[in-house]
Amino acid sequence: MRKRRRLRFDHHSQGLILNSLVDIALSLVIGFIVVIPLFFESGIFVNTPGVAKAGSTQVSDIKVNIYLLDDGGILLNEELVTYERLEELLPELLARSIARKVIISTEPDVRYERVIHVLDLAKQNGAGELALLRSRR
Amino acid sequence: MKPMANIDILPMACVGLILVLAMMVLAPMIMTHTQTPVDVPRAHTAETKTEENLTITYTEDSRLFVNDVEILPEQLTDVIYQELEKDPYQLVLIRADKNVFHRDVLEILANVKKCGAKRIACATKNPKSE
Repeated sequence: MRKRRRLRFDHHSQGLILNSLVDIALSLVIGFIVVIPLFFESGIFVNTPGVAKAGSTQVSDIKVNIYLLDDGGILLNEELVTYERLEELLPELLARSIARKVIISTEPDVRYERVIHVLDLAKQNGAGELALLRSRR
Repeated sequence: MKPMANIDILPMACVGLILVLAMMVLAPMIMTHTQTPVDVPRAHTAETKTEENLTITYTEDSRLFVNDVEILPEQLTDVIYQELEKDPYQLVLIRADKNVFHRDVLEILANVKKCGAKRIACATKNPKSE
């Protein structure tokens, strides 16, 4: 009986003690976390005075103003373009814009369908916000 | 041995499914007001939303309908105001014919905004669905 018990005890004690290994691995990880930024962050550190005071709302953004003419013409940021050219330019402009806002205004006798076509085109090309301008009387 | 008395639920399930299908078909018809025939413009990027809304229809011959009830242009503000008083977050859907002048649609939009509408959409048709 005694022998059996001892044997069982011996069997249980066999196995790898991983505690120390885990400790070393963790220490190494912490070491790497601390040391790596020291290697990578090289350069001249400069102070940026007045950044906090500068208003973040004063960022100049790319404007996308579309004006539809009665005769079928389209003005993109006050430049006359064709519908095909507008299709080409809109994605480029919207890709550089932060707000991705498209403002559409028209001459009085423009048909509703044309406006919807341009709105659709703007949305297809990634416009985030669409605005319809109305002239005051 | 007594036979087990079972309720046959198959016909009930069938009736239930038919009811669900009928509801699915009828609900958009009841919630949206698209009975007035209007040729809305086509757009590829339209979002589909089926919800209770206030539909303003503007036909090619300059007739104005609110929820398929014809009104005079002078009445528009009052009617919208009454409707939006109940729920200002109600979706206002403008169904304008593609051949109308944009300035007229803008006039309607301006009135809707003036009445305090928070959510406005222009109805369009997906070319693929034709």
